[in-house]
Amino acid sequence: MSRNHTYGFLIDASRCIDCRACLVACSVENDVPMEHTRIWMKGTGVMGKFPDLQRYTAPYHCMHCLDPSCVSACTVGALQQNEDGIVTYDDKRCIGCRYCMYACPFEIPNFEWDQRLALIVKCDLCVNRLAEGGQPACAATCPTQAILFGKREEMLALAHARIEDAPHRYVNHVYGEFENGGTSTFYISPVSFEQMGMPITDETRSPAHFNRLVTHGTPAVAATVAVAMSGAYLAIKRQSADNAAAEQASDGRPDDHE
Amino acid sequence: MLSKLFSELKRLPRYAILLAALTALGMTAGLYRLYAGLGATTNMSKVFPWGVWISFDLTTVALSGGAFTLAALVYVFHMHDLHAATRPTVLFGLLGYSSVLVILFFDLGRWDRFWHFIVYPNINSALFEVSWCIAIYSIILIYEFSPVIVERFGNNRLLEWIKKLTIPMVIAGITLSSMHQSSLGTLFIVMSPRLHPLWHSMLLPVFFLLSSIPAGISLIIIGSIVSDMLFGHSLSQRVLEKLGWLMPWFLGLYLALKLGELLVTEELGLLFSSGKYSLLFWLELVVGVIVPMILFSIKSVRWNRWGTLTAAMLVAAGIVLNRFDATWFAILPRQGVTYSPHWLELALLVGVASGVLLVFTILSTYFPVFVETMPTRKPQEAAVEAGRAERAPALSGD
Ligand code: SF4
Ligand code: SF4
Ligand code: SF4
Repeated sequence: MSRNHTYGFLIDASRCIDCRACLVACSVENDVPMEHTRIWMKGTGVMGKFPDLQRYTAPYHCMHCLDPSCVSACTVGALQQNEDGIVTYDDKRCIGCRYCMYACPFEIPNFEWDQRLALIVKCDLCVNRLAEGGQPACAATCPTQAILFGKREEMLALAHARIEDAPHRYVNHVYGEFENGGTSTFYISPVSFEQMGMPITDETRSPAHFNRLVTHGTPAVAATVAVAMSGAYLAIKRQSADNAAAEQASDGRPDDHE
Repeated sequence: MLSKLFSELKRLPRYAILLAALTALGMTAGLYRLYAGLGATTNMSKVFPWGVWISFDLTTVALSGGAFTLAALVYVFHMHDLHAATRPTVLFGLLGYSSVLVILFFDLGRWDRFWHFIVYPNINSALFEVSWCIAIYSIILIYEFSPVIVERFGNNRLLEWIKKLTIPMVIAGITLSSMHQSSLGTLFIVMSPRLHPLWHSMLLPVFFLLSSIPAGISLIIIGSIVSDMLFGHSLSQRVLEKLGWLMPWFLGLYLALKLGELLVTEELGLLFSSGKYSLLFWLELVVGVIVPMILFSIKSVRWNRWGTLTAAMLVAAGIVLNRFDATWFAILPRQGVTYSPHWLELALLVGVASGVLLVFTILSTYFPVFVETMPTRKPQEAAVEAGRAERAPALSGD
């Protein structure tokens, strides 16, 4: 996809203190009630034996994939990738079919299950705040800078630099660099991402790519079917016209087509 | 006037009342769902955002594949002795698709915007393509069924005009069916992280299209034998035998592709190592494909009514299981969350299915749906039907 992927997050699980200020900030800033949140906490739960207890957490929101599955799937194009690579959601278009929820490998799109006319809820990277020169609410609020926001390349470089500087503190994996074909949200963590409860996807290429391979082929297949069927119809019709007399004699049933 | 209407209604079989009651209950459940939202009335969740309604939709579309398969056999490949099956099959298809559209309507979070797919296209989306194809194909099915209605009111000019369009409409119908039957498989390609690898495949569209053909044929056979019991009309065993003869070819190709794909992607090991999923997969292939393939290859089975019915039921059951696997049983749970339907979800399904059967009963009671099929009992009624068919020979010919 020929887009800029301007922005990125770096989320560092070793810095998160589970204060959930980001959740509150997102809710307030974007006017989203907490029960339809755009952002959650992932975590390890309590690990180890007393008194050697450990627990790691990290906020979890839309990864803003480079080739987003949800955008590829959305029936009516309510999910779009803008020119900065931000995956936005248009609540005027959405029909609530929930295909995006299944398509997203990170289970990000949330749904208003309790509403009569229900819509999807999804992080839009605070596009409105960005337009005003601000930072996403979650990153701006974080007291420990566990959520950093900036240029995508810088965030990625910083992720690798932190691991290199302190290899004993982090597992050697920048989550989000290759997951689902690459994303704009990078995680580094002292424990494996499986332990953090993050979805583990093997795909290094977005399923959206394979989806397009097929959907773009469909018109050609359809044209082939139409031509083949018309051809078969005409060929068989001509042949049966040739045999018509013989058939009529043996069958006794007049072939009265057209 | 009223008494005339009443006596007309009396021609309906008794069970129509039961169907009407179930339909009313189902619609009440549906209205309550619209009022209360999806959370209170279904067990769908963030992990399982689609439930049994989608399973029903995919199953019904596959089983309604008989309409396009038959249209191809009769009109394109000129197998005219299958013609007798077209009317009931087209009607079943039409009602099948209608029930899918009704269920989808209740399934949408913004059902008031169901028409958005017309004005906001996303050409990358399989669901977009499915919506379009089903919408247009439903119109074609209405067209294909219209002679039955027009005939009843004896408008021959209109009938002639309708007949002229048959071939282009049929070919358009086959094309649209190939597109949406396969696109329903495409739907799951993007869901690779969630669908078990025994089912997930780049060939999903081919599998879905290919399996809809035996699925449709099996429903024609089952429908014929059931309508024998209910309405005293059936296709002749000679026609059923011909349909049965086709089955092993399609089932065999389907089986070969399914296993071949696992071989090529080096996933054959999953056939034994995936526990419950391996079992489901085997069940699908052995009960729904291999056994009926063998049965339909045996001539004496094909000429036997109950043998044919048994084999056809197995094929249908295999397809039902396959579509339920792809939409539900083989979707990998996350965080230990699983899904099983809320009773209101089932109530709506039962209601819509009853409504469909009710409409089928009404139409086949008052309209010449079964003119060309063989009356198997009730000789007086059969004579009336035959007389009607004779009066309008041009109509039943095509
Ligand atoms: S994380 Fe999910 S919702 Fe966000 S862009 Fe990627 S696919 Fe879409
Ligand atoms: S629920 Fe809305 S945003 Fe998601 S795929 Fe359907 S229409 Fe698109
Ligand atoms: S970027 Fe904005 S919308 Fe997204 S989680 Fe953070 S605060 Fe919420």
